[in-house]
Amino acid sequence: MKPAKVIGNVTLSQAASAFKGARWLVMSPQGPDELTGKNASGVSHGWTPVVYDNLGAGVGEDILYVEGSEATQPFGFPIPLDAINVAILDQIYFKPQL
Amino acid sequence: MILARVEGHATTTVSHPSLVGQKIALCTPIDEKGRRVGFPIAALDPIGSGLYAKVFITTDGRFSQSTTGDSASPIRNEIIGIIDSKS
Repeated sequence: MKPAKVIGNVTLSQAASAFKGARWLVMSPQGPDELTGKNASGVSHGWTPVVYDNLGAGVGEDILYVEGSEATQPFGFPIPLDAINVAILDQIYFKPQL
Repeated sequence: MILARVEGHATTTVSHPSLVGQKIALCTPIDEKGRRVGFPIAALDPIGSGLYAKVFITTDGRFSQSTTGDSASPIRNEIIGIIDSKS
């Protein structure tokens, strides 16, 4: 599970049938600079994964997302998915040891 | 297994049911000299490791399914050992 900030969402016109009614969020993985506020924008440079969401996270919220085959675990049917939102965070306490 | 140092924690109320009641530690992956080697990882912390404790994190989801008792749990990172800082 990795912390990330929701920076947008995606709507699909055509998608695999397993994704009927799915909600997609664009993430920015949070590094130490983003979590400690040194990078005020909160958006890290680098890749921005799109994750499946059924918890209803909005733009600007911090979440935990999971990648890999575990992402398909909550579904009882085969689904071509590798990233899912597992938690919307209330508080983050992060004090890196220098 | 990932060598990491606990450097924070996070709380959540809206989450997958298997996360309810679980402690979430924010850990920074480190190398053998303790230098950061990547972005922080959020791991389940059933054994209650303290701040700045050096820990081992597993990436096996099946193990977390047994800890949370939920076979549909998508969690995959979990702290499975605290490293004795004297060695």
